[in-house]
Amino acid sequence: MKSGRLLFLCVVLALVTGCGGGGGGGSSSSSAPTGSSTPALTLPNGPTLPPVVGNNVLTVTVDGSECSPATLAQWPNKPCVSVTICDPANTYCQTVNDILLDTGDYGLRIFQQTLPAGLLTALSQNQVQVGSLPVYECIEYGDGSAVWGPVQRANVVLTASEQALNVPIHLIGSSAGNPSQVCAGNPTFSSPAAALYNGSLGLGFFVQDCGPVCASSNNNRVYYTCSGTSCTGAAVPLASQVQNPVAHLPVDKNGICLMFPSVPSGGTPLVSGYLVLGIGTQSNNGPSGVVAYGADQNGNFTTVFNNITYPAFLDSGSNGFFFPDSQVQTCDGGWFCPPSTLTLSATTTASAGSPSAVVQFQIANFNTLINSSNNVFSNIGASQPGLFDWGLPFFLGRNVYIGLEGTASGLGAGPYWAY
Amino acid sequence: MKHLSCRLLLCLAFSIVSLFMVRQGFATLGQTADSVESDRRALSAVRGGTTAQNGYTVQEVTYDGAALREYISASGIVFAVAWNGMRHPDLTALLGSYTDQYQKALAQTSRQPGLRRLSVKADGVVVEKWGHVRNLQGRAYAPDLIPPGVAIDEIR
Repeated sequence: MKSGRLLFLCVVLALVTGCGGGGGGGSSSSSAPTGSSTPALTLPNGPTLPPVVGNNVLTVTVDGSECSPATLAQWPNKPCVSVTICDPANTYCQTVNDILLDTGDYGLRIFQQTLPAGLLTALSQNQVQVGSLPVYECIEYGDGSAVWGPVQRANVVLTASEQALNVPIHLIGSSAGNPSQVCAGNPTFSSPAAALYNGSLGLGFFVQDCGPVCASSNNNRVYYTCSGTSCTGAAVPLASQVQNPVAHLPVDKNGICLMFPSVPSGGTPLVSGYLVLGIGTQSNNGPSGVVAYGADQNGNFTTVFNNITYPAFLDSGSNGFFFPDSQVQTCDGGWFCPPSTLTLSATTTASAGSPSAVVQFQIANFNTLINSSNNVFSNIGASQPGLFDWGLPFFLGRNVYIGLEGTASGLGAGPYWAY
Repeated sequence: MKHLSCRLLLCLAFSIVSLFMVRQGFATLGQTADSVESDRRALSAVRGGTTAQNGYTVQEVTYDGAALREYISASGIVFAVAWNGMRHPDLTALLGSYTDQYQKALAQTSRQPGLRRLSVKADGVVVEKWGHVRNLQGRAYAPDLIPPGVAIDEIR
């Protein structure tokens, strides 16, 4: 039997048997994790994933071999992949690791410092323009940090057979234009050493990183055209905005699945999982036992927690559960540090009002965990107002499907998350 | 004719102010709502709504896919500002006289990669940012100016 089919059977079996199967050590007979008497939750995926093979599969490591070892101590729960970037004529190619897999963003952003001179020159000859001026972009993140640089066309090679050809990418770390004037983040990262990654691969469910607002308004504050250091806001057509490469794959372009094993309550040094391209398009990506939850135009669905309804989202680039809770003790940096592990539950609901699912999750003492030798944790979080951010811990122990806008699969029409 | 040119001038002035305000943000924390009202009029191209809450009003201005909400106490002081959009707003304009203490507190706040939210607490002002690409959110408030009985979580 082909291993792809074997995996499919395993997944089906695990899902059919529901919470009883696969197990993350959730039964009461499992040994108590260090420093906690609270048993770990039982999740759909156990501690070991069956191998997933296919030409549509990438390995994702959380603080593992795809990540730069230098960043591990500072970045728990960092999911990394390797991506190959070529100029549109395929004259120059470069494979770059330590690319943050970020479902809270859309499109490839790569620090120019990671690419050789020949490729950089070739990319600059494929500069995206509006009104004969080069297009630059400022992308800002939730924490106020930002990246800046020109938008240029490239071939994004996810695997040998999964290539997004001639798509706009964001070449970041550039000092060209006038970033200090129009892209003053705290900070605006100028290099991989500052950002602690070589780039980011945004595989959320939108096709462009800004969308209609940036196509219709000059004052979008995301896209600019620059003449020397004189930069002014610019409306940029959808097709010229930075693109989610998955939307431009030959076949497997309706979404992705992220598969991760569960981790013990005390964490683990690293885990390895899979990024599978396409949903129900190959023998290895047929969804089973999951339900799709649609999202709105802002990229949110809702989560009810402590009887309050919040906009909410799933984000592999957030390294914890970030949500409003003034009851739980916090420690350095605002991380939750309860004296004993808390088991909490929240209800996630599609933006249309149904379906809903109750999700259980745990919050352990961040200080205790981070002072261990481990880097990957399923139970860390911090308080933030306004939005419920289901970060990387949510993905551990699950297969999470992300359906792209404007596409459909057996799970329904995108944009959606399914788990 | 004189009337017309006056209107043109006024219109031009409002346009310049409007451009400035849209770029710089439009309300200043800790100041009276008088300036807010004139700002709102200057931003006539922008749809604004006012909602009366328990003991305060929320005035919203939307522009270019973004929204700014200012929280105004019964005594007419802007005690908080919240936003959402593609970018966080320019805080220098929003924080006014609180800018210096915010900048000092910010300089002492170290980045924690992966923790995608910012929380900066100075003596007189709190600034928080969060969200994801295409939907950034945040708020700034002066704790001492928050009217009695108003919960901080109402600011969002």
